Amino acid sequence: MKKCNMFFNIEKEEKWLNEQLQAGYRCTNISWLGVYTFNKTDKNYVMRLDYQGYLPKKKHQEYKTIYEDFGWDYVEGYSFGGIQYWQKESGEQNDIFSDRESKGNYYKRLMGYSLSLALMSLFFTTMILTDMGFSGLYHEGLWSMDGSLFWKAFVFETPFVLLKLAPAILAILFGCSFYKSYRNYSMV
Amino acid sequence: MKHKLLPLSETMHYILLALREPLHGYAVMQKIERISNGSVVLAPGTLYGAIENLNKHGWIEPVGISGRRKIYKITTDGMKILSIEHDRLSHILSLYEEGEIHEEM
Repeated sequence: MKKCNMFFNIEKEEKWLNEQLQAGYRCTNISWLGVYTFNKTDKNYVMRLDYQGYLPKKKHQEYKTIYEDFGWDYVEGYSFGGIQYWQKESGEQNDIFSDRESKGNYYKRLMGYSLSLALMSLFFTTMILTDMGFSGLYHEGLWSMDGSLFWKAFVFETPFVLLKLAPAILAILFGCSFYKSYRNYSMV
Repeated sequence: MKHKLLPLSETMHYILLALREPLHGYAVMQKIERISNGSVVLAPGTLYGAIENLNKHGWIEPVGISGRRKIYKITTDGMKILSIEHDRLSHILSLYEEGEIHEEM
């Protein structure tokens, strides 16, 4: 079974993945485009998502070895940083963090991650908007058209406007996910 | 100035105590489970982060490799930290004992 989904919040992604596993599936592949592959299984699996910044190859190997020794399977992830997907058969110890300090550090890593993505999106937003301004989002001639011609042109142009606004939308989404990590961090 | 990792968290404390003999990550977890009478069972993310942190501060160091696993051992700096913690905890214990005397009086 293949499912497509897109997440801007790692905890929502983890929750969604575990909901799929509870229906009797096991995750076998996750592509960076957001295609999740599942296989039917009669065992109970759990997934946990960790976030790591850039790790040199050797460090990443050490990181993976420790998790694998504890019975976790590496589903997907990259050594240059990002979400690390771990899966294992449900058992006594289903968590990847066992104390407050490490859980807090995890939320701190997430905060850094979403903040850097939010700032990057904000940077592109300002670049686009200083280049053309809000009024430049639609063609100037559009506003002087009338009737059905206006609407046709308006509908035609809107997807392109949304594309130009994509960095702004992303900045808001990553900003929200930063705030959520911060909330979780302060509650640990 | 007091070090930012002091006083040691339970996890860090147990890892330093366990690494008075050279061990790899998973063996550290097993030893801690044993010496804590089953009350401290470390998860992999916690263990990895703590080893990273202790290594960064020079309190433990890699001393070898067994297969793909890195073996760590406590350093002299790490032993110093344990002795600071030993004194701190002995003092706290002495306060517990004093308390009992007052209650008896």
